[in-house]
Amino acid sequence: MLSPYRVLDLTNERGLLCAQILGDLGADVIKIEPPGGSPARKIGPFFEDQPDPNRSLFWWSYNRNKRSITLDYARTDGREVLFRLAKDAHFIIESDSPGYLASLGLGYADLAAKNPALIGVSITPFGQDGPKANYADADLVILAAGGPLVLTGDDDRPPLRISVPQGYLHACADGAVGALAAHHERCLSGLGQHVDISAQQSLALATQSGILAAPFGADQFRRLAGGVKSGAMFSQSRWPAKDGWISCTFLFGSALGVFTTKLMRYLGEQGWCDEETAHKDFIGFGQALATGVEPMSEYARVRGILESFTAAHTKDELMRLALEKGFLFAPVTTIEEVAESPQLRARDYFQDLEHPELGRSFRYPGPFVKFSESPIRYRRRPPLIGEHNREIYCGEMGMSDRELSQLQAGGVI
Amino acid sequence: MARRPLEDVKILDFMWVMAGPAGSRMLADYGAVIVRVESPTRIDTARTLAPYRHNQIGPDASALFANCNAGKFGITVDIGNPRSREVIFDLIKWADVVTESFSPKAMRAWGLDYPAIRKIKPDIIMLSTCLMGQTGPLATFAGFGNLAAAIAGFNNLTGWADRAPAGPFGAYTDYVSPRFTAIAIMAALEYRRHTGKGQYIDQSQAEASLHFLTPALLDFSANGRVQTGAGNSDPYFAPHGVYPAKGDDQWLAIVCRSEDDFRALCEVMKRPALASDARFKTMAHRRKNASALDEIIGNWTRGLEPREAERMLQARLIPAHAVQNSVEFYDDPQIRHRGHFVELPHPTYGDTIVEGPRAKLSRTPAQARRAAPTLGQDNQYVLEKILGYDEERIGEMVASGVLG
Repeated sequence: MLSPYRVLDLTNERGLLCAQILGDLGADVIKIEPPGGSPARKIGPFFEDQPDPNRSLFWWSYNRNKRSITLDYARTDGREVLFRLAKDAHFIIESDSPGYLASLGLGYADLAAKNPALIGVSITPFGQDGPKANYADADLVILAAGGPLVLTGDDDRPPLRISVPQGYLHACADGAVGALAAHHERCLSGLGQHVDISAQQSLALATQSGILAAPFGADQFRRLAGGVKSGAMFSQSRWPAKDGWISCTFLFGSALGVFTTKLMRYLGEQGWCDEETAHKDFIGFGQALATGVEPMSEYARVRGILESFTAAHTKDELMRLALEKGFLFAPVTTIEEVAESPQLRARDYFQDLEHPELGRSFRYPGPFVKFSESPIRYRRRPPLIGEHNREIYCGEMGMSDRELSQLQAGGVI
Repeated sequence: MARRPLEDVKILDFMWVMAGPAGSRMLADYGAVIVRVESPTRIDTARTLAPYRHNQIGPDASALFANCNAGKFGITVDIGNPRSREVIFDLIKWADVVTESFSPKAMRAWGLDYPAIRKIKPDIIMLSTCLMGQTGPLATFAGFGNLAAAIAGFNNLTGWADRAPAGPFGAYTDYVSPRFTAIAIMAALEYRRHTGKGQYIDQSQAEASLHFLTPALLDFSANGRVQTGAGNSDPYFAPHGVYPAKGDDQWLAIVCRSEDDFRALCEVMKRPALASDARFKTMAHRRKNASALDEIIGNWTRGLEPREAERMLQARLIPAHAVQNSVEFYDDPQIRHRGHFVELPHPTYGDTIVEGPRAKLSRTPAQARRAAPTLGQDNQYVLEKILGYDEERIGEMVASGVLG
């Protein structure tokens, strides 16, 4: 889909996913690394736990479908090379601190002066401007600033992050959305533009619009392990199973109460509760609790019934019931169970990519959607440091061997 | 007003709840003309979800619905009514893209699956998004993003080592997959521009979201390791945590990436000797003695106003931030500066507020231009202005009950 286009990926560990998405869509992505390799290659885990820049699984995760060249563009002769590359490129993605590239004379405005059709994407913690634009950052910091952190975790412990760092991934995906919108416009106008992403703002989407509670004059959401509290109401979504945990939506109101009604009728039929409980008005139950018509102890009693039911069944049994009866159950699944999921196997989801330098292949999560006409292909495993220097510098840019050796000797490449 | 990037794109949107509509909302911000079809009888779940305006439940009171549907036109159509074909087929002919997020089979049952829609408009792009995808043993598994998050492994990777997994907040895959929905639609438009061909896009929200767990999946594939929740600890950095601050549910996130960060932290804490304490003198030592260090830092932060502490630490370039809920986020000077929240006129309430676009485009910026539609708000507009029906025909439509 994007095969006619070239992407220059200047990002550090913050921004790698953005260009990978464009690469998955077919774009020719050139990952530009500093000589010695990207700092992201130092982030583990590592294959066989050997810390080696070509064995970083963090690196592998976000650099498929890219070629790699090394270039020190902070140096004058390196900057010239980047200008040459940017002249023929369609997108450039970067994630340095605001103003850093401009200080080298490589800001979007500098590059666009030579190539007005270029689209630039900047992925930063707080965006290009504003009082916090130059704040020091980390995954935990942007999660704290953006809203999801306070809502995650047990109510009697500090807020909690997801153990696989998520913050910048939201920003990277928004960067790809912005890049494609700008590209659509470019097809009409012939002009590029700059796309400015703030991870803080991207992360607010991960609050399920709880971020609007203040302007809506509503109760703020509060965290509850596997659930949510809002005002006096709390909803549990983690429930015990015989062999682990499940997630279950147990809510009320005109839409979700329908599911709860169905579930409680079934529990009644199966002898888990009396007729009266099974036939309560679960559409109006939330409202009745909120207004005090029903005491919260009644909610606790009904929850207790469901809990004893789920605890008496395995995750598999509950999943089968979800499929057969339309109940809102799903197993809390380990990464091993994900990797071996019959559903994902039936859809041929995982893709094995051969790493010839290591003599084996590894299993990557497959295409993010299935296109019927233009399927996503994993054409290249993540590149080794500077793997494509000669191919790109000499083969495509027409540098002579001598020029390349000079730049290499000077430490630019 | 400036032209927006996608103003030539027309989308007939059958998506509902959060994951789908949050994706088409992004395209609406970029200018796509979106006609969203709602059932007049089966209310969109999103309209029933908190937060509610002033805590009062009502069909237009949900902040979630308001946020996911700003910028779209809303029409009510009873798809079960045979006369609905006329309107739906005409809208398909009008559209470049048809989207839906029902469980698989629903569109087929209505005679509106891809083969049927393609007969009406050969170069149509159709996207279906559901929890597990259109095929496979779990294809018909229906529900919400909290279930897809559990089944995709997010829950088991979020928790304290000594407790059952807490899981991420809410319907986590509904925050990840909308980006891929928007991306897939724009990519398919690009493909159509080159080839003249439409296509069908099958999106599993679980599969799209697994791109956010790739390092854990590769760790299993490469090393056979099954990662689980590790609290707030980090494999590289210490301290790395969330510490109590002054006030109800007030917290401060602090990370030290380097020896410099830690020395600076000790100075801000007025405990410079800690930096050379045998337990904490290198990153490896601090990781090993993380709980002792966390306690010392927590005792210091406990008495501090979190934003004040954030400023003190950031003044020394230590990664730190107050842990913000809606009240603090809404008041955050950075969020104010970026114009994150947007006020829009609303037919029921006079005005409303939604989050603005998440990307700033320099030349043709995205913009939220109208509030989410009330139920059937744009029936007349869609029939008259978009489909060009005359008054008589519209009258017939209304009389037939197609619009509810």
